[in-house]
Amino acid sequence: MPLSPPALELRGLTKRYDDGTSAVESFDLSVHDGAFFGLLGPNGAGKTTVISAVCNLIRVTAGEVLVFGRPAASLEARGWVGLAEQDINLDRFLTVEETLVYHGGYFGMGKDEAVERAGEMIDIFDLRAKTRVRTPKLSGGMRRRLLLARALMHRPRLVILDEPTAGVDFELRVELWRYIERLHEAGATILLTTHYLEEAEELCQEIALIRGGRLIARDSAEGLRETYGADTLADVYVKAMSA
Amino acid sequence: MRWLARRETLRVTRLWTQTVLAPVVASMLFILVFGLSLGSRIREIGGLPYEVFIVPGLITMAMVQAAYSNNSSTIFQARNDRYINDVLSAPMHPWQVNLGYNVGGLVRSLAIGLALLALAVPLTGVGVEKPLVLVLAVLLGLVLFGALGTVVGIFANTFDNITFVVNIVILPLAFLGGVFYSVDMLPSPWEELSHFNPVFYLVNAVRYGFFGTSDVSIWLCLGITAALALPTYMWSQYLFTSGRRLKA
Repeated sequence: MPLSPPALELRGLTKRYDDGTSAVESFDLSVHDGAFFGLLGPNGAGKTTVISAVCNLIRVTAGEVLVFGRPAASLEARGWVGLAEQDINLDRFLTVEETLVYHGGYFGMGKDEAVERAGEMIDIFDLRAKTRVRTPKLSGGMRRRLLLARALMHRPRLVILDEPTAGVDFELRVELWRYIERLHEAGATILLTTHYLEEAEELCQEIALIRGGRLIARDSAEGLRETYGADTLADVYVKAMSA
Repeated sequence: MRWLARRETLRVTRLWTQTVLAPVVASMLFILVFGLSLGSRIREIGGLPYEVFIVPGLITMAMVQAAYSNNSSTIFQARNDRYINDVLSAPMHPWQVNLGYNVGGLVRSLAIGLALLALAVPLTGVGVEKPLVLVLAVLLGLVLFGALGTVVGIFANTFDNITFVVNIVILPLAFLGGVFYSVDMLPSPWEELSHFNPVFYLVNAVRYGFFGTSDVSIWLCLGITAALALPTYMWSQYLFTSGRRLKA
């Protein structure tokens, strides 16, 4: 039986921005299908650049990005990826329901299917009372929930969450954790970036540490603690980033 | 593509007082003030009463301005708020994204054009002599200015950049393109210089659609408008295909 291709494979990914800044350099990474993978690193480490390369949001300078064995820029691969970005980027002209239905449409869903799925996501993310409210009128927590609902709307196989709990209160953060865990249990591959180390430790099976656009360590939280002789992931992070 | 086009249409209808009503009112004021009020003091132009003569130009001006403004502002907002990423990451071909964004401008401009026509017919008695030419001329004009709006929306750093192009480029070209007069009435060298104004050919093509006459050959008018519309649309297509200015 042939092995299933990795959910995500980056080979020699290099991105240099127009101003000459090198965000990632010859970056290799492979994330197996069904993994819950964490990407940790300080601001400017290249996390968002890596994610943007996977989601067709930057022009890659060199290298190859494959999603389930297909080029990330192909239409097929794009339909397999769901992205919740770090910044709230909701369409200001749309209501909660329209945000989800239109996203479903962009990702190839028919109207009936999109409306039904939007209803499910609205219930799951507790947005029912705001169905017909336009996005600028939502609270910060609701916007964050809608952002996650939108990323999952088209049932992606690879879910990319770029700091999904940034600026979220503790209760909502725990609520989002539980939902993300259920999603992973249902078979989705999760790629998570976060600044909350306890979040990575709680959720991720494997963690990669990146700094200056390069991968500096990759293992389970336990393995990283052992390698760095540290008691906590926070200690690992401090040692790895200052090495 | 269908959903993006629908989203763009929804934006136009949701903001209809700004996107449709305001330009219709502004153009009707031109027809009332210049045509019906001052028109009686101006002699006929090309055998047509002045209030009838200015209708095609005014409709053209309102429509191309709407096509430009709609596409430039919707793309600028989507870039600025970064919700364009939802579209760029979706499994859509660049040509579908380009076309989808252009539909909004087309819908808005056609709504304005049809509303103005519906109001101008009973007010001025204007008729349409060559409907096929009119449709072709309008479509070419909307492709040209809609695509220009898309390009400017992609390049703009601030909203001022968008309004700058309207105020400094489109409006002057429209006013000097024979909306309110026939260029035959201008002394040399202004008459000759008018022939370097692309809007002059578009206004004349639309005027031919209404009256069956124009200052220059209709084929020249349609040819020049098409020769400008095609590369402008290809430019906007290139930007979506390459990701330049849309993707870092």
